[in-house]
Amino acid sequence: MARTSFPAEVLTPEGEVFSEEVEMLSTRTAVGSIGILANHEPVLAMLEPAELRLYRSDSDIVRFAQAEGYLQFSENRALVLVEEAIAPDALDRPTIETKLSEARAGAERADEGSEEQARAERDIRRYEAFLAVGG
Amino acid sequence: MASQRDVRNRISSVKNIQKITRALETVAGARLRRAEQRIEALRPYAEAIRRMTRQAAEAAGAEATRLPLLTEHESEKNVALLLITGDRGLAGAFNSQVIRAGVRAAAELTDSQRSPVWYATGRRGVSSLTFRGYDVKGSYTGFADRPGYADARSVADDLMTGYIDGQIDRVELIFNGYISPLSQRVRRETLLPLSQATVTGVPDDAERDAEPEPDGPQALVEYEPGPEEILRRLIPDYIEISIYRALVESAAGFFGAQMTAMRSASDNAGELITDLTLQMNRARQAEITQEIMEVVAGAEGLT
Repeated sequence: MARTSFPAEVLTPEGEVFSEEVEMLSTRTAVGSIGILANHEPVLAMLEPAELRLYRSDSDIVRFAQAEGYLQFSENRALVLVEEAIAPDALDRPTIETKLSEARAGAERADEGSEEQARAERDIRRYEAFLAVGG
Repeated sequence: MASQRDVRNRISSVKNIQKITRALETVAGARLRRAEQRIEALRPYAEAIRRMTRQAAEAAGAEATRLPLLTEHESEKNVALLLITGDRGLAGAFNSQVIRAGVRAAAELTDSQRSPVWYATGRRGVSSLTFRGYDVKGSYTGFADRPGYADARSVADDLMTGYIDGQIDRVELIFNGYISPLSQRVRRETLLPLSQATVTGVPDDAERDAEPEPDGPQALVEYEPGPEEILRRLIPDYIEISIYRALVESAAGFFGAQMTAMRSASDNAGELITDLTLQMNRARQAEITQEIMEVVAGAEGLT
């Protein structure tokens, strides 16, 4: 059964990557997975690195590997702001793996409880999520 | 006087140089347009982040004032100077004016018993500071022509980490702001601590026109997680965006400056060619005159 669609927009600092009508949008927030259908209540959520899925229909799904960001849903429009949104086939595995091992080394080196450590861990989560999306 | 052959050689070498400067001018022009597009592409994202920050700051209330990036340090001893330069030269005073502004800022700091901590992006800035004997704490190169957001994030991460962990007490950003293809102006901005007015402040005119604030009660918004948590993440994004904007503006400014510099170099080469051609014609004429005089003198000697 076709669901009601709503406009969804995905913006990154380097430009717009998606702006179309979708039936459903799914991603992961800081508290857990979230799925947005039309007429969802207004929400402002913080997103974790994950796979962002935009369902044009049940079978037509656009996927992105998404870095940290935010999701705003109000007045039946979805706005996804993410630092990076990369199509799965554009992911550069070797580069991401290098960055992941750098981040791991950085987390080892940093003092316990410092900001430096927190950031390195954030990088680790991002690159791990990217690799998971790449499959 | 130079012989015809000498002058002809000089003309051909100047013509070759002119070919190169023309080519560089064209390339810079094309890259300038792409860099301008990147400035445009950033705007909707930056504005959306600003709106969200204001919304989250309102919802968070007093909590917003206690975030480390908004808190001034008690003593301001170490001031980080982040210089944004290009990776390459051939762009007039583009790089040197930023470096000069940085050195001047450092002198001011030293005068008031504070010490500068150097950070620089772009090969030109890094090598020039190193050459002057400064210790560059953070250097970032290889992306000046085409900065990505990830590049801005790595710079921002180092600065914010340094600020929160107490190694630096203030961060200033010095870069070439983009005004038009023909002009860039050196700008100096304070990046950290972030002033609260920037975060919670009144929207500027353009925004107010674009989005009239509803007077009535606003729809209840569900925050996941709480607004304070979201704000804690949004504030660093602000810093990242500021650095990214400086990087893209600087890239556009660089190509603008390079285009201008190469255009005047081509013009100069053109003038030089005109002068040299004139000189060559004179030399040729002088030789011809000389020969005629010799022939006439010879003929007179026979009669």
